[in-house]
Amino acid sequence: MLNDEVSILFTPMKVLTSVYNFFRPRIIGMIVAFLFLAVILVSVFFTSWPSVEQIPQNVADQSNIEGIGVLIFTDFVVPFEILSIVLLSSLMGAIYMAKGDGNQ
Amino acid sequence: MIPVELYIGLAAIIFSIGLYGFMTQRSGIRMLMCVELMLNSANLNLVAFSSYNADLTGQVFALYSIALAACEAAIGFAILMAIFRMKDTINLDTFNVLRW
Amino acid sequence: MAIGDLAFLIPLLPALAFVLTFFLGKKLPNGGAIIPIAAITISFVISLLITMNLLQNPEEVINQSYSWFAILNIGVLVDPLAAVMLTMVSLVSLLIHIYSVGYMSHDRSQSRYFAETALFTASMLGLALSDNILQLFICWELVGVCSYLLIGFWYEKPSASSAAKKAFLTTRVGDVMFLAGIVILFSDLFRIFNGTIPDGVYILRFDEIFTHIPEIAAMNANILGMEVSHITIITLLFFGGAIGKSGQFPLHVWLPDAMEGPTTVSALIHAATMVTAGVYLVARTFPMFMAAPSSLLVVAYLGAFTAIFAATMGIVMNDLKRVLAYSTISQLGYMMLGLGVGAAIGAEAVGISIFHLINHAFFKALLFLCAGSVIHAVGTHDMRQLGGVAKVMPITAVTMIIAAFSLAGFGIPDTIFGFSGFFSKDPIIESAYLFGSSSGMWIPYLLSITAALLTSLYIFRLVFMTFFGKPRTDYGGHESPASMTVPLSILALLALVAGALTRTTFYEFVSETFVNDFVQMDIPALADIGGYHLASHAGHEPMLILWMPLIVAVAGLLVSYLIYGLKVVNMDSLVSRNNPVYKLLYNRYYQNAIYTDFLSVKVIYEGFAFAGHAIDRGFDWTVNWISDLMIESGEALRQFQTGVIQTYATAVIAGVGLLIVLIKVVMEVI
Repeated sequence: MLNDEVSILFTPMKVLTSVYNFFRPRIIGMIVAFLFLAVILVSVFFTSWPSVEQIPQNVADQSNIEGIGVLIFTDFVVPFEILSIVLLSSLMGAIYMAKGDGNQ
Repeated sequence: MIPVELYIGLAAIIFSIGLYGFMTQRSGIRMLMCVELMLNSANLNLVAFSSYNADLTGQVFALYSIALAACEAAIGFAILMAIFRMKDTINLDTFNVLRW
Repeated sequence: MAIGDLAFLIPLLPALAFVLTFFLGKKLPNGGAIIPIAAITISFVISLLITMNLLQNPEEVINQSYSWFAILNIGVLVDPLAAVMLTMVSLVSLLIHIYSVGYMSHDRSQSRYFAETALFTASMLGLALSDNILQLFICWELVGVCSYLLIGFWYEKPSASSAAKKAFLTTRVGDVMFLAGIVILFSDLFRIFNGTIPDGVYILRFDEIFTHIPEIAAMNANILGMEVSHITIITLLFFGGAIGKSGQFPLHVWLPDAMEGPTTVSALIHAATMVTAGVYLVARTFPMFMAAPSSLLVVAYLGAFTAIFAATMGIVMNDLKRVLAYSTISQLGYMMLGLGVGAAIGAEAVGISIFHLINHAFFKALLFLCAGSVIHAVGTHDMRQLGGVAKVMPITAVTMIIAAFSLAGFGIPDTIFGFSGFFSKDPIIESAYLFGSSSGMWIPYLLSITAALLTSLYIFRLVFMTFFGKPRTDYGGHESPASMTVPLSILALLALVAGALTRTTFYEFVSETFVNDFVQMDIPALADIGGYHLASHAGHEPMLILWMPLIVAVAGLLVSYLIYGLKVVNMDSLVSRNNPVYKLLYNRYYQNAIYTDFLSVKVIYEGFAFAGHAIDRGFDWTVNWISDLMIESGEALRQFQTGVIQTYATAVIAGVGLLIVLIKVVMEVI
């Protein structure tokens, strides 16, 4: 009886405590993130985006994959090559680090 | 045609979620995931503006940055594994050798 | 080419000798003594020739001025005053150098000794022929530095190094006053010219200074409610410098301690180079003093007081050299007195005072070199251990006795028979009498005549105790080598006859210092500026006054002969620690207690230490406070450095957000 009463009596307290324990370590992060979001949203939605002349879409072929592929292999071929090297080296680095020394 | 503000707003929300996660989570893997989230919101922006400006360059760079994100994730997980091997935990709160 | 054109070589050659001896002396025999001796010999010959020329036509002084910078110049001025100084300094210094070859032959650092004495001589010669007060001051300071180096020559001895420091610091007190005087003089002259000085006018040159004496005398300053003329202030400050260098009463304490150096250095300091600088300064700026009667009074009173003050201490000293040191102070007092009574006799005062300076240089150098000879042979300074030295060292004894007679002033008035000291000391005492009869102030005369009695007493006490009677201890003495006895003989000859041969010419010669083609001073007119009139010239005193110095000298001789020669009076009861007078004198009026223990240690040392400590504490507190503040704020701020990346990220994001908001706000406002 007494236990029930006490538990009933203290349930809101428990909820509050758990809420507090949930928010306490996160509150600064929450506030900062929320304010940041607010700032960005305010600046985005209060900016009058000029309506650009839409380039007539190619109705027959709406896909832009071809364009991207052409761009990658013409204008941006050098970054592409560098990227391949970066990928390879990061792969090797990751394997090296993850393997550890003398483990196997 | 969906207006560009909505894309940016979505990207901002995703970014904020990533931010919040990065600031509050203690687990290294979760933090890495949040970083990916922020990176992808940036990619979203790139694509949105590429479409808005009718210029494919942005989309090309979005592709590149996805590739870089893969590298970053690989390295990041490797580092986390090293930390785990050192400290037997990936809770980055305990990894504070930069402390005063 | 006239010999006068070579005047600049007089100080330059010893200065060159300093450099050469300093660097090459160690490789030469006798520490390279030959270099300074040769240089000073040439200087002496040049100065002697110049003096001869000047004697024929005293109007044609040698003056060469070169622009140094702005309105200051360097230059050479050889008027009668400078000429006799140059001759005396170079001669005495030359003899002392020759003597030093023998005296210093056992010393390891001979070359340093000869280099430093050469520089000492050079700076003193430079001082004597300066034609402007600034150059004089520079040489004056050089003299001070050299005295420091030479008194502390045996710097391994703590007493020598502390004596050197004492000499340097004590004279420095005077030097600062001298410098202050120069500064006031410069600003006054600058004001007289209204700040625009015409080309070719060097305002610190003596002729410019002397021409503007009336204007400076007209300026008044208000000090403690009294109207004081600027000329009085300047001359008193100059005299302050002279007090320091010439060992007058309050600042004389360094002079007896200067005995810590080699005896030859004492001779150099006491006779030729250092202590005469103060007298020379007062003589050189004498026209200024003439226009400031109160300064002249101070000079006269202080000189007379120093004469008797030092003589009383000379009576009880047992150290051979200390007796001579107090004798020097006493004689310098006479020289100052001779200048001070210029209020009564005008420019003649310079003549008699400088005459005494020259004669004193000869016989005091002689006394010191004799004492050095005795010390060199016997190895002790203490007169109580000596006695009967005359038997083993006849030449030294004879020359010493001649010097003693000269110092005591033996001679017959109105004739040419007399030791040189007589012909210079007598006129000073007579001038003091004239001063008394014209102004009614008899104290200087009384003090000076009493001091003459005491002088005779202490010098013959020294002679009897050292050279006569039976040896009190067993010492092995021998006569000194020729390099030491030859200078002694030359100096003895000078002490014997120099005064008699040159006296009348000398007064007239030096008294003409201020009337020639460089400066034209009307001394009586200057006295009028000061508000008084010159009395008649010397030579009309009553018979008793003329004979008085001789009477007291003979009395002193007799008394000391009775006490120390025949020992008819038993001094043991008088000479005891229970006799308060003896105790007072033997303890040198407790100067050591007053100057060193009280003034230096208690007031200056401890006072400064306390002040320094307090200031130090203040600085410490401030510095510590600042560092504590830094440490505490750092402690507080470093809490932000958690080392957790999330914290940094949060801070970065918050910062970026804030930045965006700020930019927005700013854009809106604009």
